[in-house]
Amino acid sequence: MASPCVVLVDTNDAFLGAEVGEIVKTEALRIEAKFSRYRPSVVTHINETAGDALQVDDETADLIDYSMECYTLSEGLFDVTSGALRGAWKFDGSGRVPSEDQVRDALRHVGWSRVTWERPILRLQEGMEIDFGGIGKEYAVDRALALAAAHTRAPVLVNLGGDLRVSGPRQDATPWTIAIEDVDRVGSATGILELLSGALATSGDTHRFVRRPGVRYGHVLNPTTGWPIADAPRSVTVHAATCTEAGLLAKLALLQGARAEEFLKLEKVRAWCVR
Amino acid sequence: MQLKPRVAAPTPGVRRALAAAAAGLLAGGQAEAQEAPEDAPATTVDSALLVYHEVNRVQAIEPEVNVSHKLNEDSTFNLGITADSLTGATPLGAVPSTLPQTYVRPYKVIPLGTPVTVTSASGGSTVVLVPPPTGAKTQTLAASTIVPSNTYPLDRGFYDRRVAGHLGWEQALTQNLKLDGGVAYSKEHDYRSESAHIGLAQDLNGHNTTLSAAINYESDLSFPIGGTPTPLTQMNGDWKGRNATLHEIDAVVGITQVMSRRWLATLSYSYSDEHGYQTDPYKIISVVDPVSGQPNAQLYESRPDWRRKQSLFFDNKIHLARDVISASVRGFKDDWGIKSLTADLRYRWQIVSDFYLEPHLRYYTQGAADFFHYYLVSGEAVPQYASADTRLAKFHAQTYGMKFGVALNEISELNLRLEYYDQHGNGSPAGAIGQLQQQNLFPDLKAYTVLLGYTFAF
Repeated sequence: MASPCVVLVDTNDAFLGAEVGEIVKTEALRIEAKFSRYRPSVVTHINETAGDALQVDDETADLIDYSMECYTLSEGLFDVTSGALRGAWKFDGSGRVPSEDQVRDALRHVGWSRVTWERPILRLQEGMEIDFGGIGKEYAVDRALALAAAHTRAPVLVNLGGDLRVSGPRQDATPWTIAIEDVDRVGSATGILELLSGALATSGDTHRFVRRPGVRYGHVLNPTTGWPIADAPRSVTVHAATCTEAGLLAKLALLQGARAEEFLKLEKVRAWCVR
Repeated sequence: MQLKPRVAAPTPGVRRALAAAAAGLLAGGQAEAQEAPEDAPATTVDSALLVYHEVNRVQAIEPEVNVSHKLNEDSTFNLGITADSLTGATPLGAVPSTLPQTYVRPYKVIPLGTPVTVTSASGGSTVVLVPPPTGAKTQTLAASTIVPSNTYPLDRGFYDRRVAGHLGWEQALTQNLKLDGGVAYSKEHDYRSESAHIGLAQDLNGHNTTLSAAINYESDLSFPIGGTPTPLTQMNGDWKGRNATLHEIDAVVGITQVMSRRWLATLSYSYSDEHGYQTDPYKIISVVDPVSGQPNAQLYESRPDWRRKQSLFFDNKIHLARDVISASVRGFKDDWGIKSLTADLRYRWQIVSDFYLEPHLRYYTQGAADFFHYYLVSGEAVPQYASADTRLAKFHAQTYGMKFGVALNEISELNLRLEYYDQHGNGSPAGAIGQLQQQNLFPDLKAYTVLLGYTFAF
């Protein structure tokens, strides 16, 4: 996942911590390996066979079902097929911005509406690709936490690259203390919050962006236009019962651009926006 | 202008729909998790076959099965059965000589007048008929062993079979207090042992500290072949009859402490009080000529009928990222005058998730019991207690071992342990008399252990 991952187990059992760490690591690596878009995986296989119908396994089908619901709920703003746009946009901190033609070309391979999905059969159009990057990490947090909680009654916190979830309050019934990373100074905290239950997920351009004089294009692209969302908060951190839910809410808020806070307020979501 | 995207304001209620969708996704995953074998299996079976081989001495084969069954969250029941068979040679206790020596021990009682054919018995002994006292209705067959010159005297007819079992129960009384109890039984053709124990363990300090205390009572009955000889009398082929008993009480108190996230330490103290027959009925001690050093009598050994033992044990387990180091040291002393020290080091090297290697090193050193003598000297006063059993002598030993473990799947493991034991004593004690100066009075002992174990759970 190329991001720092932390597991905290509130226990005095020296070995339990190591055991739970191993469980979380194994599950996180399993999900990463299964849905990686860089290394041979279910996802690369789906993308390589775009154009043909392909039968997928249950877990992949569950993720696709969920992605489709998110697509519908967000009226197309959340789209797992927006991967082709990444070919046009390189969020490496450089100043390269694609031309309108490049973006228009890329957009021809984007859009869940072009996908045929009849569980368990998936058919992408040729040239399309899917990417669970927007939900995979949060899903891994929830899965790993569920496995850890099945292993021990000790309070556990699973943090995979900033997306985290706790099994409940700490041993002494106090909340966990979480620092929100400063968007401009990686590694330093801009806020401290306390978490008794549920999950936190952050979406934003803390680490990934394209910068041009006067304009900073965040890494959240609007798949309906092919361009980054304008006036979006730098980052949105959302609290929800599950990490999967928190992650999606954070992304949807970001996709609202200038209206992110309005959206979060309307949805009565406990959230922190950094602009 | 592309930078002003069409932003569709989502209808309120996205959150609830999303929560339902996420719950659906994760429920699928959790169902999958439940199928995975995370749940601790209720029953664990440990089985092992041990082969122990002492070079030129005894050999043992010991199959063993232990079953542990978790009845519920709070109670566990366990049961173990072992059987072993020992054959080979064991030191008599006598000194070697430049001359051949003959040893006789009672072997079997038969009705008077039973025709006896003198044959060569197993282990190089010869069966001889001991003339019965007048009026007796039975007569005794004795085994006579001739030990060649300059040879360390061993009893080659050694044979034993043992069956042992134990039954135990562990019960959590409260979240922090655990009670365990059990009984054990073991039987050999000349020995029987019965014991019972009960223990308590109290967790303190949020499971950071565990205090434990246990007490064990053991009652043994010894019924040696040929009977229990009178200590310090001349070895002979007569049938002695008479059984002997031994009672032992052990108490252990301990503290286990989590020192850090990776370090667990245990300190325990144990005290044992033994009363009864502790002499080895088959062991003898030579009485040698004060000038030539030639044995001119062989007496049955004699040990005190009491023994108080104390030991202090310090054990550490250090959990590295994947590997585990176990290091322990034990100090022991008793009122026979024996003091010993054991240092033990193991490194469990988890090479891959389903394969580990565990090298093992152990060092043991002990001082002699007050009444240990390589031999007694003719003409000198015979002490009240005397034994030439080298297990009571000063010696040191090293064990080198390696264990290989393969997880066959999530619930079973196959392991193989190989160990080499190398014991050294002083074979040429200072002041040895006459011919004894040329003899090795404490030959080195080397032993190999092969243990094949298979553990599975269901």
